[in-house]
Amino acid sequence: KSQHGSSGLVSLLVFVLALEAQALTPSHYLVASDVDRLQAVLSQPFTDLKSAYFSVVGLSKLGVSVADSNDACSFIKANVDSSSIEALFYAAEASQAISSCEIHVSNETRDSLHAAVSEDSTVSQIHQAVSALSSLGLPLASQEVVSALKARISKEDNVVAITLALQTASRLSQQAELGEILEEIEDLAARLDDLGGVYLQFEEGLEATALFVSAAYALSDHVDMEPPLKEDQVIQLVNSIFSKKSWDSLSEAFSVASAAAALSNNRFHKPVVVSAVGPATVSHSHPLLQLHVTDVLCQPLSSANVLVESATSVASKAAILSQTPFTLRDGIFELNFMASKPASGYYQFSVAVTGDSRLVANHVELKVKVSTKVAINNMDLSVVDKDQSIGTKTTRVEYPNKGKASFIADSHQNFAMTFQLVDETTGVELTPHQTFVRLHNQKTGQEVVFVAEPDSKNLYKFELDTAERKTEFDSISGTYALYLMVGDATLENPVLWNVADVVLKFPDEEAPSTVQSKNLYVPKPEIQHLFREPEKRPPTVLSNTFTALVLSPFLLLLILWFKLGANISNFSFSPSSVLFHVGHAAMLGLMYVYWTHLNMFQTLKYLAIIGSLTFLAGNRMLAQKAVKRYSLHHL
Amino acid sequence: MSLSVIAVISRFLEEYRSSTSNKLKVIDAYLLYILLTGAFQFLYCLLVGTFPFNSFLSGFISSVGSFILAVCLRIQINPQNKGDFLSVSPERAFADFLFAHTVLHLVVVNFIG
Repeated sequence: KSQHGSSGLVSLLVFVLALEAQALTPSHYLVASDVDRLQAVLSQPFTDLKSAYFSVVGLSKLGVSVADSNDACSFIKANVDSSSIEALFYAAEASQAISSCEIHVSNETRDSLHAAVSEDSTVSQIHQAVSALSSLGLPLASQEVVSALKARISKEDNVVAITLALQTASRLSQQAELGEILEEIEDLAARLDDLGGVYLQFEEGLEATALFVSAAYALSDHVDMEPPLKEDQVIQLVNSIFSKKSWDSLSEAFSVASAAAALSNNRFHKPVVVSAVGPATVSHSHPLLQLHVTDVLCQPLSSANVLVESATSVASKAAILSQTPFTLRDGIFELNFMASKPASGYYQFSVAVTGDSRLVANHVELKVKVSTKVAINNMDLSVVDKDQSIGTKTTRVEYPNKGKASFIADSHQNFAMTFQLVDETTGVELTPHQTFVRLHNQKTGQEVVFVAEPDSKNLYKFELDTAERKTEFDSISGTYALYLMVGDATLENPVLWNVADVVLKFPDEEAPSTVQSKNLYVPKPEIQHLFREPEKRPPTVLSNTFTALVLSPFLLLLILWFKLGANISNFSFSPSSVLFHVGHAAMLGLMYVYWTHLNMFQTLKYLAIIGSLTFLAGNRMLAQKAVKRYSLHHL
Repeated sequence: MSLSVIAVISRFLEEYRSSTSNKLKVIDAYLLYILLTGAFQFLYCLLVGTFPFNSFLSGFISSVGSFILAVCLRIQINPQNKGDFLSVSPERAFADFLFAHTVLHLVVVNFIG
């Protein structure tokens, strides 16, 4: 029983670990250049009070102050229109973001702001009034605001309005009853569309999603209650908001900056972005694996601990590292991976970022490549006689030199090549993906490529049987330059080495035709479409003969009827009789017309008309005949 | 042997000539005509081939169908069979004959192509 218990526990642990391994990490995020671009967009010169608001407040969210604060302050003061709630809102918010910039408002203005807080104003107006009052440091009645908001939310049930309501609630006193408004976060989160498990956004677009995120976190922080968003949902929101790297309007840029600020600095969730600096490749010349570990605003998490939980080789599944920390230097986390002397190839890293309970997506899987330089050892070339009677002459050639003498091989001999490929630094044998031997005839331009295969001891061998391979060479004798090509994704120095010249002599050489490069891309011969051949018909004479033959019995019938004395002397010219015969003839005519012109539907239509007339007439006529016959018989 | 066959046939023909009414002979002549027409069509098909098959079928079926309907008419008209067809008068038989022919020829002309 204890065995079952422990195995159950182990499987549960494995399951939990597996689940953790599947946690979502951000696939779209802002890099330093994107943040700079965002800042540049927000730093454009102001055109009006609204753009001033977006720029000043947006930059403050990014932690940057506007270029010339005095200029900005005077611009705001000059453009504020005290009769417009909206203008007051922009002015108040912007001035609060600039240090030592104060706007004074008259009592009437203050009263108009208070008056705007009612059930008759839109949520947008309430939001602007409350924010203006709050930024100007004026008192406001939080409970009134709450009741006005609740009334308006039920009337304006759209995403933008509820987001503004959330934003407004975050400016109110903490003693106010914000519970119902807080629940709107969950309702609104349910309206988000999940796109492919990667993105989570409103159908209203990026701006609405970004503003929702900043409002939700603002309110959650204000009441100190964790927002009802799961970790995967937070990452999906990050993907949606930061997938766009250039923004159509100032308001869009502002919303993104707001969301970025909210996600990088709230009390509950802090998404982590882990990415390699450049390609995730280490080698002897670059032994350090460098990672950017930042928040969504691309600021490094200096207080975090970054740890390699495990690093396993993809090929051999052997674990190289376990629980190894990264060191922080200049905002970049580094680890000297080459110090563990890994063999070249790919490694699966499992990195964990700890140190803050708010971190989200802090377990990342990373694929790291270890490259190396290849060295070619013991390159031995020889010409072996097929019957092995004459001893082999082996010539060693050192890379990158070329063999001095040419090698001559005719049909009785084989040309052989052996070599070893080793890691330059460690001397470990390598088996790269591409090891080709290329023979190039300089005169004809012909080239033939073979693959060199390693044996069980990782020694590469290449043998060229001149007689056997003559078809590849088109039996063209001559001097061929021999090249060795070595390549692999993990090699830093791919090799193309002209090893030696080989003179090949082929038996019974045909008149050497100039090598026609097999051009595959010339137009092919045109295919003529063959229409369906009509079936063979018998000769017209035969058909005509048989037509006459088939019609001849009719003649016989007429003769027989005449002989029998069949006649129409009993024909009564009553109207029904005439009509019947006319109708019947019409029906026969209709059959002919059907054969030549009509389709079934038309025929049925005409047949119905003619047929019913004929039927009525015929019925009448036959009845008359029956009466006549009856009276005749019963005389 | 052959003598007796000829004797039987001539006896049959004699009986036929004397005992069948004219009306029935008229229908029998018609039957012979239909038979010959069908036979010649079949002969053509055997000799020359079945192309076009649908035409051959429709023509042949027309012959066969007409033959059958004429036989039905003959049976129903024959006064010797009156006991079997109390509800069917000769006129009714003829009307049925015409109606059935209409349907048959509708199908035949459709199929003849």
